[in-house]
Amino acid sequence: MSHRSFSVALKGATLVLSVLALARSPVAAQARFAPATPKLPMARTWTAYKATLPPYRPPRTPDGVPDLRGVWGGPGGAGGDDIEEHEYVDSTTPPQESFISDPPDGKIPYTPWALATRNEIRAGLARGWPGESGGRLYADPASYCVTTIGPRGGGGEITQQPGRVILMNARIHRVIRTDGSPPLGGGAQLWRGSSRGRWEGDSLVVSVTSLNGRHWFDSVGNFYSDSTRMVERWRLVDANTIDYEITIEDPTIYTRPWTMNYPLRRAGTGGTDAATGKYAWRTTVTADRDPYAREMWETTCNEGIGHTVEELHGLGFKWFKGVTPPR
Amino acid sequence: MARWLVLSVIGPSMLAIGSLGAMPGAAQSSAPATYTPPRTVDGHPDLQGVWQALNTAAWDIEDHNARLGVPAGRGVVEGGPLPYQPWALAKKQENARNRAALDLEGRCHLLGVPRMTYMPYPFQVVQQQDKVTILYEYLGAVRYLYMNGNPHPKGPIEWYLGDSRARWDGNTLVVDVVHFTDQTWFDRAGNFHSDALHVVERYTPTGPDHMRYEVTIEDPKVFTRPWTMSMPLYRRQDTQVEILEYECMAYLLEQEWDKADSPLFRPQ
Repeated sequence: MSHRSFSVALKGATLVLSVLALARSPVAAQARFAPATPKLPMARTWTAYKATLPPYRPPRTPDGVPDLRGVWGGPGGAGGDDIEEHEYVDSTTPPQESFISDPPDGKIPYTPWALATRNEIRAGLARGWPGESGGRLYADPASYCVTTIGPRGGGGEITQQPGRVILMNARIHRVIRTDGSPPLGGGAQLWRGSSRGRWEGDSLVVSVTSLNGRHWFDSVGNFYSDSTRMVERWRLVDANTIDYEITIEDPTIYTRPWTMNYPLRRAGTGGTDAATGKYAWRTTVTADRDPYAREMWETTCNEGIGHTVEELHGLGFKWFKGVTPPR
Repeated sequence: MARWLVLSVIGPSMLAIGSLGAMPGAAQSSAPATYTPPRTVDGHPDLQGVWQALNTAAWDIEDHNARLGVPAGRGVVEGGPLPYQPWALAKKQENARNRAALDLEGRCHLLGVPRMTYMPYPFQVVQQQDKVTILYEYLGAVRYLYMNGNPHPKGPIEWYLGDSRARWDGNTLVVDVVHFTDQTWFDRAGNFHSDALHVVERYTPTGPDHMRYEVTIEDPKVFTRPWTMSMPLYRRQDTQVEILEYECMAYLLEQEWDKADSPLFRPQ
């Protein structure tokens, strides 16, 4: 059983309600995949497809900046189970292209010690995957309902006001100021970092600093640190697709900056297209006749994880305190 | 404030809410009708921005004395003592004695409505055509107050923040909230409710930087009559104010993870 399964193994009444809440959310419940599933498209397919798109000028908000408002899906495919390219592992981890568009090999350019650390974390996940050490090290921090960095936040709604872009879904909110105000400083650190945006042509460019380095990019231990800086780029490439790009830089653990790139689809405008090998996006809510279909209902994340926490603690997983580079 | 003015402001809207019944003798305070707030693009009063309560209701919604780490405070409840049924008053006192074990604040759960409003953390109001959204710093919680024409969904549903349906009554945002769990309290003093809780919140701008926050509590399983609390909310004036984060569960787990006998990891 994967830890993602743990994290939805909620108690009693909460379970029913959480499932309902997922169904109401534009982000569909986790899919299950057969071994013969074709490799799900991600960065490689997307960048090739993107190159064929005609130029597009996004609509503007009343105050004249690109209009990103709407409800958007997450990265699609199997989500952030493993952001590097992989073959079929189990029913929740189908074969999928890498999220990473640069470097071209789709691998995170870890320094040697950092790669060894990632491999050690991965081998201690105890998910019943090939190559595990047999021991237990850390569980995915997402198991504990902690807020997370941009790429793992999943789909949700974007709204805009003069001077800010606001992202929100059933569990997480993020206000990105675009008014030139200074980011958090003074050594203060946040789980989701401090975000400051600016408009460059058709793109929203967001600088993320002051991260505490305690979360992962995915569920298999791909990590960053408290000196990592991220730059996100959000740009509409057609009326219903955002080209999302995030560049990660941290000389203490990576040999060079690296970039993830994938599309976000407007809710209600598409589905996973694994069969045709075009780019992927989430299946969206189909219950059009349900007047509540677009509402985001309470997920009571913290309230529902008692069993998960007891179980992971009892199994001997350690608490992940971030990674410290060797001096 | 003159009683006649208050009644003229809240009277008809209370009738419109329905099901609240009579509010016997509750001393209501409400906003003067003189302030005209700016409007959003949709033409509604603009309540957007970062707000915070500035009182001691998080400790105790009634008058209370100081003790170590707790400032003394005036209550926010209108009128006399809370109208508990006899059994419920006994339970409230038991809650207070066992707060360390029983108050869900200690487990980093969502704390219910209205308690989330007067926790000592800021929250941000975001308005759109179909809803008003409250982004809380506490737990990073998001609460949607829908005004899309949908009624409360049919229960039974037990949510920590309930199901919120909003409408405008003049300059006042009126929020009707039902479908609560019976797990949350009103404060750290053990004041509590059942799953029959029905909350009506009223957010009324009284100036560019102030709102009056009035809450009617109805819970026939616990109280003998509906009652009301009232307090001002203040727009945060700090030039750099923004919603940061209070990731309670992360701090709690980090503190408890390596303790041999933490109650957090015992089956409940």
